[in-house]
Amino acid sequence: MRHYGGMAARYLKQQRKRTILTIVGIVLSVALISALGTMGQTLKDNLILNTEYESGSFYFGYEKPTSELYETLSQHLLVDRLGIYRTGEETSLANSLSVQVDAVDPEGFKLLPIHLHEGRLPSAANELAVEQWILDRLPGNPKLGDSVSLNGPEDQPIEYRIVGLLNNEKKSQVEGVSRAYTFGNPADIAIDAKTILFLTLKPGVNISAQIKEFAKLNESLFTNDNLLTLMGESGDNRTNTALALIFGTLIGLVVLSTVAVIYNAFHIAVLERIRQFGLLRTLGASPGQIRNLVFREATVLSAIGVPLGLFIGWYGLEFALWLMTQAGLKIMMMETFRLTFHWWIIAGSFAIGFVAVYLAAWLPARKASSVSPVEAAKGAGSIVRESYRRLRLPSPLGLAGIEGRMAANNIRRNRTKFRITTFSIVISITLFIVFHYFTQQTLNMTTTTNENDRIAFQYSRMVQPDKNGMRPPISEWVPAEWMTQVAAMPGVYGVYSSYYNHLVVPAVVPNEKINPDIAGQTSLQFNPSETERRHRPASEVQSLVILYDDNRLKEAVKYVQSGTADPEALAAEDQVVLIQTIKPHLRNDKKAILPLTRYKVGDKLTLHMNPDDSNAPKLHEVTVAGILTQSPFDATYHESMLTIIVGKATYDKLLADDPEKYFPELYPNVPTGFDVAMADGADPEPVRLKLQEIVRTNPGSRLVDIAENQKETRNFNVQMKIFVYVFLFVIGVIGSLNIINTIQTNLLLRRREIGLLQAVGMTMGQIRRMATAEGLWFGVIGSVWGILLGFGLCYFLYKQISNFQGIPFEFPWGASLIACGTALLVGLFSVQGPLRKMEKANLLERLREEA
Amino acid sequence: MNVITVDGLSKTYDQGTTQVNALKDVSFNINQGEFVAVVGASGSGKSTLLHMLGGLDKPSGGYVHIDGEDLYALKEKERAVFRRRKIGFIFQAYNLIPVLNVEENIHLPLLLDHRQPDKAYINDLIHTLGLHERRRHLPSELSGGQQQRVAIGRALAYRPAIVLADEPTGNLDSANGREVIELLKLAVRQYHQTVIVITHDMNIASEADRVLHLQDGKLLNDTQSLGRDL
Repeated sequence: MRHYGGMAARYLKQQRKRTILTIVGIVLSVALISALGTMGQTLKDNLILNTEYESGSFYFGYEKPTSELYETLSQHLLVDRLGIYRTGEETSLANSLSVQVDAVDPEGFKLLPIHLHEGRLPSAANELAVEQWILDRLPGNPKLGDSVSLNGPEDQPIEYRIVGLLNNEKKSQVEGVSRAYTFGNPADIAIDAKTILFLTLKPGVNISAQIKEFAKLNESLFTNDNLLTLMGESGDNRTNTALALIFGTLIGLVVLSTVAVIYNAFHIAVLERIRQFGLLRTLGASPGQIRNLVFREATVLSAIGVPLGLFIGWYGLEFALWLMTQAGLKIMMMETFRLTFHWWIIAGSFAIGFVAVYLAAWLPARKASSVSPVEAAKGAGSIVRESYRRLRLPSPLGLAGIEGRMAANNIRRNRTKFRITTFSIVISITLFIVFHYFTQQTLNMTTTTNENDRIAFQYSRMVQPDKNGMRPPISEWVPAEWMTQVAAMPGVYGVYSSYYNHLVVPAVVPNEKINPDIAGQTSLQFNPSETERRHRPASEVQSLVILYDDNRLKEAVKYVQSGTADPEALAAEDQVVLIQTIKPHLRNDKKAILPLTRYKVGDKLTLHMNPDDSNAPKLHEVTVAGILTQSPFDATYHESMLTIIVGKATYDKLLADDPEKYFPELYPNVPTGFDVAMADGADPEPVRLKLQEIVRTNPGSRLVDIAENQKETRNFNVQMKIFVYVFLFVIGVIGSLNIINTIQTNLLLRRREIGLLQAVGMTMGQIRRMATAEGLWFGVIGSVWGILLGFGLCYFLYKQISNFQGIPFEFPWGASLIACGTALLVGLFSVQGPLRKMEKANLLERLREEA
Repeated sequence: MNVITVDGLSKTYDQGTTQVNALKDVSFNINQGEFVAVVGASGSGKSTLLHMLGGLDKPSGGYVHIDGEDLYALKEKERAVFRRRKIGFIFQAYNLIPVLNVEENIHLPLLLDHRQPDKAYINDLIHTLGLHERRRHLPSELSGGQQQRVAIGRALAYRPAIVLADEPTGNLDSANGREVIELLKLAVRQYHQTVIVITHDMNIASEADRVLHLQDGKLLNDTQSLGRDL
């Protein structure tokens, strides 16, 4: 040893256990921060990719550009890519279908959400890409590579060669207008009212600031809000601020927990040795030299712990993903599910790790350097005066006998140690609760999932009368065996009947049952009801009455908030299932999810079946058998109406109220079509062929084929879910390890003291009970504070998230209970290991150990 | 030649609402090369005096001059450096650094001063202390007597002006205690150092050149040792 600083390395080497415990603390924290950073960034990357896929990758565009504007933009220094889209001619086809050929230039193809299924995109003016579904309805029934003649400008036919097939779009199929694109040469494409320009700006440009400047060029500017919001570049500053606050809070929480864990590990290690630092002072070490020694230790520890933490953070995540894949979560798109490596996360975690260690070393170093040499010289024993605090209130631990009382005293004896241990547990629990809340909300906002996600095909039939005005009865349009046959095909998740019409009737809702927030926050208004016989003020709330077959009802069970959606229960007359949560526009232009009414299971609901005739109102009372959180099919929430789901028995009774109005041709109670849901990862091709066969052989058939999109949406949703669960899993594991490390460090550093207790006659059993009580109590205190802090932070995040979408605040009680239960169990079990070790170790040796 | 001058030294501790006068107006001089014993009952102020002489604690009043330097006129850091260079400490509980071996413990004051040890002198010292076969051992591998010898070596490593020993034989059996005192006397003879020993043991006091007797924080008498008188 040639320098006094060499002592730092000696300490670390000789005190191997303490060193390892401290390094474990650093490794865990750095692993946490780098894993969370990677997960968060991957989540964001994924969301951006998905949004670019759905809404295009352009930042903004102009709906009514001029050729001058195009010139300006194409020479603009800040513009990176500029794409052109021009609406073209429509060609009518058989069965009231049509195809519209629009021109897009090469940059436009990159910027717009145009997705090629097969072949390539057009690169010449006589080339065409069309949606798959329209291919066999085009004149001449062409194939990929064949030619087709379609309308051109001024009704001049143009011969196109089909070079590409596009993914089917639901909207175009429902409307019956297929999208088709040809190549638009930027040099000669006309820039006029039919043209739309799309653009992105060069990397590094402040987009949100520049949008205002670009809007001055032409007032028809529109923005790709979904993408810009995710990029933190929304034109709405409130959104950007809210995003910054949300991510600031999350990052702050993670950084805080990192610093806390490292501080905890380091602080205890230094405190326990403080007497030795005092001795060095008697030998003439200056306070600076003592600080230097502590900082040297910090350097060595972080040099080992930080890179190891980065390594474990990355590979731990990979391992967690691998485990989840093995656990059966493997999905088709798993190969695209990759963690994205970002240098800034690694560098940031590295820096935070080091800074945290130095910060954690700074206070103990100051303490060590200011320790009184007199106290150190006085002899053995800890020279850190433990601030024994008499408990004002008797601790509940006192009930557990002498061991409990000892535990209560131990916990409160050293305030600093108590605070850092508790803080460490609190932060672990808070982290879990807050991240659980945040990820669930993100999931809800980005993936409004219901059973519609699985629907790949929608078949419907409307048989037109023949020359003689005859047509078969509606009950024969869609034979039940078609549905049975399709349902039996491999990969089919479910087949659900669809009906030609829904009933829209007002429900007579007593005013006290209407959520007052509706009047407070939205512009929705309800007419007063004049039909109420019990003289209570009531309003007419428009309601959508939807008939569900048994298969749909079985799926609805997943969404039950209270009561039941069981088909058998609904087979009884006048039983309905209610969805009273709606998603209206608020006065502040945002959308919110709010309950419209406050019905409970068992309540009676009155439907006004003939609203047009107020003289002789026909009122029909139904009973709420169940309440759902959201709609299991179609849009998850209605904007303004109650949704009432009924079985066939109730539906028939409702129709019978006014047979003139609800005649069978308009309101059939038999299926006029069906939806086919595919299982995740299943091949839709056989089902497609089967349905196409039905369409071909049965006039009046219409098939909406969205299998491609459905698969992508579903994969995205499943991926998001996996992300969220891996995320929470990682936080849970790291949080638990953190608690284990904290409690074990606390205990291991008291070996001598526990030896002393044994020496004065405490049995190992009593010591075990004492330590167990300590572990449990730390868990209890940590849980209480963790929930309080978690609640506060969740509420804060909720307030920020409300800037994007109004949602009711729901504290994640389930997650909180899981977190607290885990903390208690971890607290309980983590004391057992060190105790077992102590049991085996020699008592005298422990007594001789340097305090 | 005076190496230590203590003038009107007093120290008062606050203990809750009461004040304890650990030292009251103590004054004396010590010459270079003297072997001085400080005796007195428990609580008489012996350790407090030693801490004041070593610059470990600040007096409430009075002065301590060592080698002509007013110890408490120095700043904290200067006093640490002064202590490192001019004062050697020996404690009853040895207080060795457990992670350093014998040789390194002895070197430590020099290393703190960023100086490389004078090998010949340290070797001589280690031989004199009878530790040459144990120079690579850790304190935990040594007997109490050996540990105290290492502490003496550490105190002498910098050839300080004075060596302060607080009950250096308190934890040792009589043979080892005897040996320690002989070594301290040797330091006085061989290296012409000033040694001040706090002790309860009148046999040790009897071997000193001078005995300072403290009682209730006051210097009761300052006598030439009996051994010397006889």
